[in-house]
Parts: sequence; C-alpha cells; structure tokens
Amino acid sequence: MASWPTETKYISHSTLRIDAPAKVTGRARYASDIQAEGWLYGMILRSKWAAAKITAINLEKALKIPGIKAAVTVRDGEMTARYYGEELAAVAGATKQACLDALRAIEVTATPLPHVVHETEGLKEDSPRVWAEKANASPGRQTDKGDVDAAFPECDAVIEGFYTTPVQIHHPMETHGNTVSWTDEGVTAWASTQGISSVRDGLAGGLQLEQSQVRVITEYMGGGFGAKFGPGVEGLLAARLSKAAKAPVRLMLTRFDQSLAVGNRPSSFQKIKLGAKSDGTLHAFQLENYGTAGIGGGGSSEGGGGGVNFPAPYIYKVPNVRVRHTDVAVNAGSARAFRAPGNPPASFGMESAMDDLAVKLGMDPLELRLKNDPNKTRQHEYKVGAERFGWKQKYQKPGASPGPIKTGIGCAGANWGGGGNKRTQGEAQINPDGSIELRMGVQDLGTGTRTVIAVVAAEMLGLAPDQITVKVGDTRFPPGPGSGGSTTCASVAPTVYSVCQEALQQLQMQSGIADARGSNWFDACKKLGATPITVHGKWEQGLSSSGAGGVQFAEVAVDTETGLVTVKKIVGAHDCGLIVNQITLESQINGGIIIGMGYALYEERVMDGFSGVVINPNLETYKLPGLADIPEIELILVNMPERGVIGIGEPATIPTAAAIGNAVANAIGVRVSSLPITPAKVLAALDQVPSPIAMIP
Amino acid sequence: MKAFQYASAVSPRSAQEMAADHGAYIAGGNDLLTRMKDYLDSPRLVVNIKSIPGLNTIVAGDDHWTIGALVTVAEIEGHSQIRDALPALQQAAAEVGSQQIRNVATVGGNLAQHSRCWYYRQHDTVCLKKGGDLCYARHGENRYHAIFTGNPCISPVVSNLATALTALDATVVVLRDGKETRLSMAELYQKAWDNPLAHNSLNPTDMILRVEVPSLRSRGAYLQVSDKHAFDWALVSCAATGNVSDGKLSKARVALGCISPMPHQVAAANDFLEGKPLDDSTAARAAEMILADAQTLQHNGYKVPLAKALIRRTLLRLKG
Amino acid sequence: MSDSNPEGFGVQSRRTFFKSVGTAAVTAATANAKSVAAELEKANAEKLVGPGAISVTLKVNNQPLHLQLEPRVTLLDALRNYSSLTGAKEGCDRASCGACTVLFDGKPIYGCQKLAIEAQGHDITTVEGLEQSGELSDIQKAFIEKDALMCGYCTPGFLMSLTGLFEANPHPTADEIRHACAGNICRCGTQPHIMQAALQVAGTPIASKTEVIHG
Repeated sequence: MASWPTETKYISHSTLRIDAPAKVTGRARYASDIQAEGWLYGMILRSKWAAAKITAINLEKALKIPGIKAAVTVRDGEMTARYYGEELAAVAGATKQACLDALRAIEVTATPLPHVVHETEGLKEDSPRVWAEKANASPGRQTDKGDVDAAFPECDAVIEGFYTTPVQIHHPMETHGNTVSWTDEGVTAWASTQGISSVRDGLAGGLQLEQSQVRVITEYMGGGFGAKFGPGVEGLLAARLSKAAKAPVRLMLTRFDQSLAVGNRPSSFQKIKLGAKSDGTLHAFQLENYGTAGIGGGGSSEGGGGGVNFPAPYIYKVPNVRVRHTDVAVNAGSARAFRAPGNPPASFGMESAMDDLAVKLGMDPLELRLKNDPNKTRQHEYKVGAERFGWKQKYQKPGASPGPIKTGIGCAGANWGGGGNKRTQGEAQINPDGSIELRMGVQDLGTGTRTVIAVVAAEMLGLAPDQITVKVGDTRFPPGPGSGGSTTCASVAPTVYSVCQEALQQLQMQSGIADARGSNWFDACKKLGATPITVHGKWEQGLSSSGAGGVQFAEVAVDTETGLVTVKKIVGAHDCGLIVNQITLESQINGGIIIGMGYALYEERVMDGFSGVVINPNLETYKLPGLADIPEIELILVNMPERGVIGIGEPATIPTAAAIGNAVANAIGVRVSSLPITPAKVLAALDQVPSPIAMIP
Repeated sequence: MKAFQYASAVSPRSAQEMAADHGAYIAGGNDLLTRMKDYLDSPRLVVNIKSIPGLNTIVAGDDHWTIGALVTVAEIEGHSQIRDALPALQQAAAEVGSQQIRNVATVGGNLAQHSRCWYYRQHDTVCLKKGGDLCYARHGENRYHAIFTGNPCISPVVSNLATALTALDATVVVLRDGKETRLSMAELYQKAWDNPLAHNSLNPTDMILRVEVPSLRSRGAYLQVSDKHAFDWALVSCAATGNVSDGKLSKARVALGCISPMPHQVAAANDFLEGKPLDDSTAARAAEMILADAQTLQHNGYKVPLAKALIRRTLLRLKG
Repeated sequence: MSDSNPEGFGVQSRRTFFKSVGTAAVTAATANAKSVAAELEKANAEKLVGPGAISVTLKVNNQPLHLQLEPRVTLLDALRNYSSLTGAKEGCDRASCGACTVLFDGKPIYGCQKLAIEAQGHDITTVEGLEQSGELSDIQKAFIEKDALMCGYCTPGFLMSLTGLFEANPHPTADEIRHACAGNICRCGTQPHIMQAALQVAGTPIASKTEVIHG
C-alpha cells in the first residue's frame, strides 16, 4: 500500500513557486500573448437584444473592411437570441482596429421579443417565456425528511428570514479565449483554460474532428475559477475563422463579453424558517429557494455545476427538513461552475439563519454551532480558531458596540468534497546527465500545480525541486484532469508519487544501484549510458482523500452613519490534509477568502429590467476588492498527513461571506440579509431609509 | 473606437479652430478614450491640447491661486503648498481614480468629464442623455443617481474636483468663441441641471484654460464615501471650507457631489453658517438645510442620511 | 447594427480638411497682424495625421520601437499586438484593472488609456524592462519570495505600480502602498502577499501569521 514519507524535506514545507520568475519578468506567455506566425485578431458580435428573432446577418460589408480576412455567423439561417450578449457572428482581421470596424459593419436583421431578466419577475406565470415550450419557473431539487409541519410547533425558538445572494461573475483577470490554428494537419489551440482535455474534446466534438487531430496548449493562463473548462462558443468561432482565413486566429473576449456570456454563479432568494429547542438543538428547517442560472434555468451549462440547487440545511444535522428549489429561467447568460458551486449561497443563507436563531435563543452563535455541527474537524477548528481570534474577549451582544462606528464578529463553517481523479497519468524522462522532466496533461491556473509536481518529485527522488523540470499544459502529455472541484492537487500528487516510484525501480534495474535517490541519483543516471528512459505512472489509491472542513471568523467595523463596512480581520482554520507546499497553500486560502469577501460586500451583476441589458459589464461598476479593502488575514492550517492530499481552493471561499454577514449583524444589531452588503443596504437596515430590497414574498 | 485624425495644437485658438468640425480635445484622455471605445463619441479629429504652452502651471497670487487646465490631478495631490492652502482641493484630488489615472488626468478634464450614469455608459441603451426619450434610471437601477435635478435625467456630476472647487468659490476661465469667459462653478454645470442632453455648460469647442481659486478661506476638508475603500466613484462627496476664529465660522461653504447634475450647494445653509459656533448642532442643522428638498427614488434614498453624515463630518474637520 | 466604414469618411474628409485649412492660411497671410496665427495653423495642418496608419517611434525599455499605427491604436495595443512586448496585460481596456500598467517617464499609467502616438518622445518601461543586467529588481525578488502572485496575470501591473512608488518614495507605509496599488485588481487574491512583498522592499517587513497545527 502506497504511503507518503513521514520525514520530509519538501512536502509540508515551503518551496517558492517555480514559475514565479517567468511571471515577474513578463516572460510567461499566456494564451492572450500568443503570436503564432501570421496570426489574426478575432472578435465577436453579440446580440444587443435581451431576446430577439434574428432573421438575417449580412457579413458582406464587414468582409470588405481592409484587413478583414474572414467573417462567420454562429448559426446558419434564423435563430433566436435569448440574452443580451449572445454570440451572433465573428470576424478575423489583421488588426484589432479592422475587427472593430468590421463588427460595426455587420448588418443584423432582428425582431425584438419580450424578455424578462429579473428572477422575481420570471417567477410570474405571465412573464415572457425564455423558452417557448416551458414555463420559466421549474422545480429543482426537493427534499423532505421527518415531519416539518409537526416539528415547528415543538420548537422553543423559531426564526424566519429572507436571505438573498446576487449573480456573481467569475471575472478572471485574463478573459476567456484562444488562439486557434486550423490547418490540414488538424487544430492547435492555445487556450486560456482550466481543462486542456475538455477544450480538446469540445473542439473535436464541435468541429467534427477526431480527438487526435486536436492539440491544446496552455502554458500560462490568467485564472478561471470554474468558468473555463470548454472551448466555448468563442473557441469554436476562432477555429472556424482560422479555417476560413487560413491563418491562426487569436480571439480573446473583451471584458464586456466576459461580463455577459461565459458563466456566473446563480442567484438565490432563500426563504428560511429554522427552529430549535431551548438548549439550541436544531429541530426543524424549511427552505424555499428560487434563483436563476440565466437561460439555462439551472440546467446543464458548460463546465457543469451551474444550477441553482445547493445543499440545505448545509452543514447541519436537522431531523425535520423540507427543501424546495425553483429554477427561474431569465434572459441572461448561463451559469457555470464557480468556485465551490452552490456552497457560498448555501452557507450565507443557513449561517445567517443560525445567527438569527442564536439571537432569539440568547445564545452565543459559536455555541450554537458547536452544539449542532456534527463534523469533528470543524469542531476542532472552531475551538482553535476562536482561541486565536479572541472570540470570547471580542463577543458582544448584537448592536452593543458603541457607535457610530460599531464593531462586530461572526463565524461560519464550510464543507467540501474534492478528492483525486483516478484517471490521472504522468510520465518522466530521465536523462543520463541526471536531468529529469515530468510531463502531465494538467494545467496550472495559478494554484501552483507545477510547483506541487516539483515538490513531490523532489521529495520522492531525494533531489531539490529546482532539479525537476515540469511540463504541463499540453494534451500531448499523459492525460490529466481538469482543474476543478479542488481535485487537482489530490490527482497530481499521487500520480507523481507513482511516476517516481516507477523511475526508481527502472533506475535500480538498469543501473544496479539499489537506491537511486539523493546522492546516488547522478551515478544511477550515468549508468543509463546513452539512452534516456521514460517512465509512466498512474494515480494511486491511498495517498489522497476527499472531504474538507473549514471555519472562518470575521471582525468588521460598520460605520452606522455612512453604512460603510470595513473588514478588519479574518481568521481561517482549514483542514489541509497532508500539506504539500505551504506557501502556495496559503495563497490559495487567501484567494478563497478574498473572493468570498467580494461576494459579501461588492460584487453583483446588475441588469436593467426594461431593456434587458447588463448595466455593469466592466470592472468599474462590477466591483472587485482592491488592496485597500483587504483585511488582516490569519490562517490556521490543520495538517493531517494521515488523510493524504486533499484540495483547498473551494472550501476556503465558502464561509467568508456568511461570516462577514454575521459580523455585520452582530455589529449593528440588525441583519442585512441581502448580498452584497453595501452602504445603501446597511443604512436601510438601520431604518434610516425605506428598504429598496425585496421583502419576503 | 472609430478611426480619427489627430493633431497637436500649439495655442488654444488653433485648437478651437481645428476642433470646430466634429473635433474633440484630448488631454489625459481618461474620459474621452473610454467614450470613444464605447462609441458614445466618435470625433472626426482628436486635437491634442497638451502641446499648448502655459496651461500647466500652478501660481499662488495675493488673493487667489491660478491652476492651469493641464495641471494633472497627481500634481494637485502632491503639491505641498496646495495641501496647506487648499486642503479640500488636495484631498479631493487624492481620491480621484487611481494613481495611474491621476498621473494623466488633468484639472480641465476632470471638470469636463461626462456622465458616469451606467445607462449613459451602456452603449446599447439610448437614454435621455443620448437623445432618447426615456431616463432608464428613473424607474430602473438608480442607486448611484441624483436626489436633486432640474430635468428628467438623474445623472449626477461626479467630478471630485468640482465638489471641492465649488466649496472654494472657484472661477473657471473658459475660452469661448475666441474670448475668455469667466464661469462660476454653478455656471459651469447649470446646463446639466436644465438640459438632459448636457454634461456641463461647455459648448463643443469651449476650452477650460484655468481655474482661479480664492485663497480667503484658511480651512478646508473633503470627504467621500464609496462602496469600496479605494478606486471607486463616490456615492456622495462633500467639501467644506471656511475660516474659524474663536470657534466660530466665517465665509463657510459646503458643497456636495454625486447627488445632483451640478455640485450641490445651498446658499441659505452657507448664510446660516456665518458666525455660528463650529459644533455638532451647527453642522447637523446645516446638513438638514442642505438636504431639505431632496427627492429620492427607489434605490437612492440612502444618499440623504449619507450626505448628512458627510456634511457633519466634513464641517467638523474645519476645527483643524 | 450597421455603420459606415470609418476609413471611407477618413479619406474623403482629410482632403476637404486640408483644403479648408489651406484657404484659411492664404487669407491670413495677407494680413500682417494675423500672420503669426496663420503660421501656427499651418504648423497644425502639417501635423495632422491619420486616420490611416503612420510611422510611430516609441522608446520602450530604452529601445526604439518603430511601428506603423493608426492614431486610434493605444499604447497597450501597440505593445501587445503590433510588437512582441506582451508583458503588459489587457484585463479590461477601460482603465479599471491595472493589468496594463506601464511607467511613462517613470510614473505609472494605464497603457490601455494612452494613445500610442502620444507616447512618442516619452520613456516607456514595461515589466520586461525591470531586470537590470540580468538581475531582478528588489520588488520582483520580493514577489517571488512572498508568493505575491498566482495566475500572474495582474503581476506585471502591480510590479509597475510598485516600481513607480519606490522610485518616488523608497520607504512607503502600508497606507501609501495601498494608495499606490488602488488601481490594480487581482482576482486570485494575492493582495496579502503583495503587501508582504512591498513592505519587505520598503524596509518594514511583517511576519506571516500563519500557524500550522495538527488535526
């Protein structure tokens, strides 16, 4: 049975990111930096209607623009555009300027159709239908356990709340896109993706090619967060343009495009009723939720995991439960998986309700959690984290902090599955000069996958990480998983382990040196003579596991006169399984927390009901946290080597918004039950102005 | 962005003549290029005015400061004498955009910038400001919009410097039809109050040459609150200036931004402050007067308490 | 959706424009009092360029870069798409994200919001120019050491903002660092490590507060 070494030199220590030098010098070439020989610029024309019958798209004038080499429509013949920003056509030309002119020269004949873009409107029977054949509202997951109706009267305390979360956009700093070259030999795509294999398969399927005719390369890419698994419409269009123009086409989305059409986290409107016995034991839970995943209406979307359903009552055990989810289709871009799909809204609703219940019970909200959270890891994390955070010293009754700037604290828990992908493979080429190159068909989206591979290989071979050359991001390498669901590390590390075991075995056989590791490495390699060896390995059982619990504590200051929330501190205690590389692990957790913070305070896709357009399709009014917004972050890494490697990307982002929301409620004594918690909403909650937020329907 | 011709002007007059036929001036370019990229404006000719000599100086006179239109916002922010003499202006400059923006943004450009209303900036809506027949914001997403307006458009002025310069009683010197014309800050924005199509009172070829700022008020402060802590438009901005002697105010001025198509100032409140003790109750009373006639919509009601809080705090900062 | 070809109007109107300016110049030349103004106008007319591509010379990282660009091409577009200097990144093209930050005569600006023709005669520094004789700058080294980058797409922009800051102020406070970097966005969440890296270069390093415990 495979097992990790217990005494380690690199695993569970910190190795600096091996591709950092390339990234700080500008040498790293991202998908959007690729300048293939004779490349053309590509751009997409999108629907300016929220819904329209498109009867004709005339490309003639566009094709006459100097520099334009190709123009294609997304579909032949008539089509129905179902959201603002849906792809209609694309052009490729020698310059961006030529493309800009060509887009404006395309003539679209369209008849606008009625549209609906807001969930609450979409729910109504008489709202315009997104899909003619079915109502906008459709039932999602339903759960019934115990007898809720009988259970609520048995409770000593019952709260009801309406908690809402907005549509959140991924907004990786590098937009979606590809450079695609389609020649007689096949297709090569330099993709900004978190799944080179899924882009390859998507291109092969979409272009009716054999898988072997498509090669996808992703040396560097600028973030994905769940939205970048397939080639997307933009990838297929780039390929078709390349074929038509007989030249490579680089088609990266604009930030405007990015805001409309390539995924988002669905909204949620959660009507929650939660009851407990006087000692705090949860007894009954009821959730009626609706939300939108855009035109997908919660159905499948590229990348999966884009539905409005989420686990409820989330991490808590309640004997009597009734859960109803309703998917509301609206005329807006589809959802896609977004870092811990479903979980941040699930956490925000349930954890807010928990704190509201604690207030009603007169209990410390941390006590209420310890009473009801069945997970031992989180129990431990809550205790250690509370100590570090100073929960006991800091906790005051809601609203008790003196004003006008009131401080408050809150906490919340997270749960995630993860685990390794057993189809992961890798190979290593070992050269007589002792150099070694590991090749895996995975990609590094900034999570540190390259570095993890080097760390594990160095540990297993008794070398230093900088002696390992790591090659990822090419479908010609042995197949690896898409980077999603916090599974990459648990897929890659055990595979590298087995590649290295195989390498040592081969070296032993060929060199006669019993243990080729460390100081023997170069001697053993030398004995290979003139021919390098290549060894393969597959993911092995027993070196990784799934399931990751985490908790976070937040301290905020709320200016009750201006409504401005300042997050002062976050303490995160997270189950890290076997820590592989500490410094990149810390970066991952920080990153999860900061996305969670954006969700809590700033981020929201805003659509106009009348016109059906997105009115913040940019990074100016779609607001992301900046350096000045970032609190002090303290991490407690719970190292559990016996569990093997697990993932951390998703659990780290789940509880942040709930913890911040609870801290705000604790500070001001009333709940802001709608994310993002803006100054406007804080002032409304404090009754200084009538609330603009929808009340319980 | 559509193709255009480009030229550098050597004098304000030559710039004006070149710009006469569908031209646009470019200085920092922050606002113009964004508008051009989104096809809100497509000038035939872009006239560089940075090449015009003499518009980039800051001069301290006996009773006023003269600040050239091409002085950058970063220069105002970093000017140690302005920090002391015109603190409201310096503090307002420090909150403009980001350093990358402040390093190129000019005083003239900041004052002349167009509406940031997200419907105006959305290139696929034809709102009132773009010649359409509907203010989408009025019945739509109006959280960032005005609570005072003289016309159906509710896009507010968002220039930080305008807020500060209004509280400083500044005069803007504009080249209009070949002649220097002096506009008060109110006059600079009056047309935006009256006319939904206007962003300010400047005619297409009018060029801001300089700003003259009286130095007769020794105290000043500027505060804004945004959704975020930095690099975000103000929800409400507030500037206050005045003199304080024996704890009593004189020549006090309060101005607010982001709540009206023009910097919001209430003469009666300024008058009220004359000779009053600089304390909480004076400040609160002034705040009530300044917000008295606010008309809120579905999503922007919060601007009233926010503005009042900012007025109180900004005024109390004059204590020094 | 349709629109006329901008290059079409350009060709025609350029001719008309020259014609009108030329006439004005001749008329003005007859009057002595107006001759100075006329000379200026003539100078302007001579400088009128575009809308087609013209020769543009940029000085980037102390190297001349000769390009043929339309006046509407931004500095960022010129670097990334008309030459191979792809270190400055495009994140928004609207002066909102900071990925395109370059130094313009030593000061950070957004490359996406500066016309390339207006960058002529100025010193442009991109991330590719930070290394001096093969050695990384202090802030580059600190970024590596503190893991102040993840996907790395925002990294060049942050590095340029901080390089500009350190040139003006070698020992900034944490608040000054926040102010200088306000115009740069990172979506991966590297900000805490960026702060650690910047404070280290500022000479006031802060210790990480991470604690490892056993479960």
